[in-house]
Amino acid sequence: MVGDINMKKIIFNSLVAATILFAASCKPEIETPAARTAGTANFSKYIAIGNSLTSGYADGGLYLEGQKVAYPNLLAAQMATVGGGSFTSPFFTDAQANGSGYISLSALVNGTPTLTPVLGNGWRDTPTNTRLFKYSGEIQNLGIPGMRLDLAFDPTFTFSAANMFFERLLTDAQVGKVNYAAYIQGRNHTFFSLWLGNNDALGYALNGGVTTDATTVLTEKTTFSFLYTNMLNILTAGGQKGVVATIPDVTAVPYFNTVTPAALLAAAKAINPAAAAIYIQTGTGAVRVATSEDLIRLPFQTAGLLGTGSIPYGLHPLNPIANNWVLDKDEVIKVKDYVNSYNSTIKSLANNKGLAVADTYTYFNTVKAGISVQGININAAFITGGAFSLDGIHLTPRGNAAIANVFVDAINAKYGSTIPTIDITKYRGVKYPDSK
Amino acid sequence: MKKLLLSAVLSVPLWVFGQGFQVNLQGQKQIGMAGAGSALALDEASVFYNPGAVSFLEKNSISAGVNPLLFKSAFKQTGSNITENVKNKIAPPFEAYAVWGPKSNKWKLGIGVYTPFGGLVDWGNEWSGRYALTSLNLKAIYFQPTLSVKITDHIGIGAGFVYNHGDVNLQRALPVNYPDGRSGHATLEGTGSGYGWNAGLYIKTLSNITFAVVHKSKVVTKLNDGTATFDVPSSLRSSFPEGNTFNAELPLPSTTTLGIGVPLSKSTTLAFDASWVQWHIYKELAFDYAVNTSALADTRSARNYRDGSSFKMGINHQASEKLALRAGVGYAFSPVQDGYVTPEAPDADRYILSAGVGYAPTSHFELNASFFFEDVKSRQQKNIETGLDGTFKTLVYAPGLSLTYKW
Repeated sequence: MVGDINMKKIIFNSLVAATILFAASCKPEIETPAARTAGTANFSKYIAIGNSLTSGYADGGLYLEGQKVAYPNLLAAQMATVGGGSFTSPFFTDAQANGSGYISLSALVNGTPTLTPVLGNGWRDTPTNTRLFKYSGEIQNLGIPGMRLDLAFDPTFTFSAANMFFERLLTDAQVGKVNYAAYIQGRNHTFFSLWLGNNDALGYALNGGVTTDATTVLTEKTTFSFLYTNMLNILTAGGQKGVVATIPDVTAVPYFNTVTPAALLAAAKAINPAAAAIYIQTGTGAVRVATSEDLIRLPFQTAGLLGTGSIPYGLHPLNPIANNWVLDKDEVIKVKDYVNSYNSTIKSLANNKGLAVADTYTYFNTVKAGISVQGININAAFITGGAFSLDGIHLTPRGNAAIANVFVDAINAKYGSTIPTIDITKYRGVKYPDSK
Repeated sequence: MKKLLLSAVLSVPLWVFGQGFQVNLQGQKQIGMAGAGSALALDEASVFYNPGAVSFLEKNSISAGVNPLLFKSAFKQTGSNITENVKNKIAPPFEAYAVWGPKSNKWKLGIGVYTPFGGLVDWGNEWSGRYALTSLNLKAIYFQPTLSVKITDHIGIGAGFVYNHGDVNLQRALPVNYPDGRSGHATLEGTGSGYGWNAGLYIKTLSNITFAVVHKSKVVTKLNDGTATFDVPSSLRSSFPEGNTFNAELPLPSTTTLGIGVPLSKSTTLAFDASWVQWHIYKELAFDYAVNTSALADTRSARNYRDGSSFKMGINHQASEKLALRAGVGYAFSPVQDGYVTPEAPDADRYILSAGVGYAPTSHFELNASFFFEDVKSRQQKNIETGLDGTFKTLVYAPGLSLTYKW
């Protein structure tokens, strides 16, 4: 009987012990390799220099949702864990949240999208709608949609008035009196990112390889090198460290890969089986049959031109698709050559200065081929690819998160910092219409 | 111990590999010994562990037990500073056995109902791997009628037919966004069945050292007409039609076990089991949808498991007529190769520790309790298919209790 009590005690105690062990079952721990550190960099005041990509421009406009997920803003939030300070951006107010207006996807029928404009409410000169509400106050996201490297040094200062996104950030006294290179100075930054120069090639390409004004010039290679040197000298004047980004291949974006001659021909044949070929006018003025190496701009899809007129537009050599709609094969080669030259300049100057290089050129090419990131397939397909917004050039929130991680990796590799990566799954791709 | 394990590993270089979805909780006494015991005629759980040993059981008996299992897994994306954990969900592996035979005869009949494979992982709908998986609830319930025959006083053989009832619910988020930014969601749910067998040989030497050879066949479980539900924005509905169904196949592997039982004294027995789990049949997880669209193709996700193996050692000490104490240690090699680790089975090599206690208040009743713990090693992986890149770490806790009636 005594033994029985002891046994009961043992059983009871073991059960209690097991229960306690079970209840206290600590969560599994995953060790972080090392403490979070800024390495040899100092992120206390980060400024972002760049164009529309830096500003958070998306879906053909600058609006609040895009601004909030601009890659510099995502990057700054991560830097905060390694000594980064606050990061200010020229956000539209909630009342102006639609900013300059943007386009939305309102329907998708058998894969054919209907894009509908969302009107901007950031205008201060309604109904003219050419001037945005001014933003005053210090900012660190200095990205200006449309900014080019050559126009950053605009000696005439006219670009500061001509570009409404730049004008928005300037005081009345500054408009027409300052260029971007001057504007970004004197900000006491400790770290910078520089992703500028895209428009020096893209402006030309987006106009079908036709130069009509200062924003569609293909910047000379030597000019690019000279000005990029100047820009880096400005940004590193106080010995600051930073990250520069290469220029993506303009042919890596859906803007040039969605409307193919083959797709146009198929569409034309569906209406008129006699349609034999798509004709284009090239940069030299010659008219010829389009090949798969000729890139037609995305807006052609909704321009409603194909097959119109008594001589069907684009289907007859006497009425070809106009030069400005097409980046023809030779123009593609030319733009690629310039971008490659810009990128060697960027890389070699950055190396000389000991700066990190975020190779977005390589990354965009990877995306073009298609990659899986944390369970998400992203590629350069229009709408379904998930990385590019509805304008076919700028990034979705998901695309911004992916690119921000390219910057994180480049900075960490160069400076021995441990900026945590961004969880790309928290950011959306294109919004699909839902009737519910 | 480590040395012993190491030499065991080195002696079988081809068995590079453990667990996957395998659940090693089929009898409280054996669980208390880390799952070893195929060479011991301990109790009615031999129906599972070694049908050949069933004929050596002295009594007829019936038992039922349960092992509430808590699978605690954590994940951290590579480069991230955030650790995410699975939700606390308790899986209920259970086992029930009955063994009967006329007292003086050389044969016994048995039946077992147990859950040798399964998984319950719920990472939630917000975690960073949700586009790979949000949750998996997989259950395989084996029903096994068994006949065991004592050929001589030293050799017993036995075999059982296995019917598996499988149940699976797999969910993940889809990277398509509603206007409010939230993601789509896919739920695949179905039941299926499969067949197999379990046979064993039990040898009791003159020195009372016992040996076991057991083979449990593979059970290819076919799921037909499971439901595939896709929650997507209405503009994508034509790509993900409603009321879609799928067929899939889950091959549950065969296991070959060699066991040794060594009586250290009258009251103490040592058991050692080495198991070879032929996971190589799990080549892919394929879903064949009834309706395919340009956005919804049949999927074939490579799994490419290799064979797994485990080594377990347990000790059973009869402290008194009524009280038994048990303990065990083990080590298992994962069947999941680098690049194929998924959140539904964040597998890696693992250590096993266990303890158990048995109490027999009368000669008819027996109560057994166990505690089973697995420490699955931390493993940093980038999945080849999904690109999910991070470190998994898992701990498994399973207390258990069973009640036996003997006559």
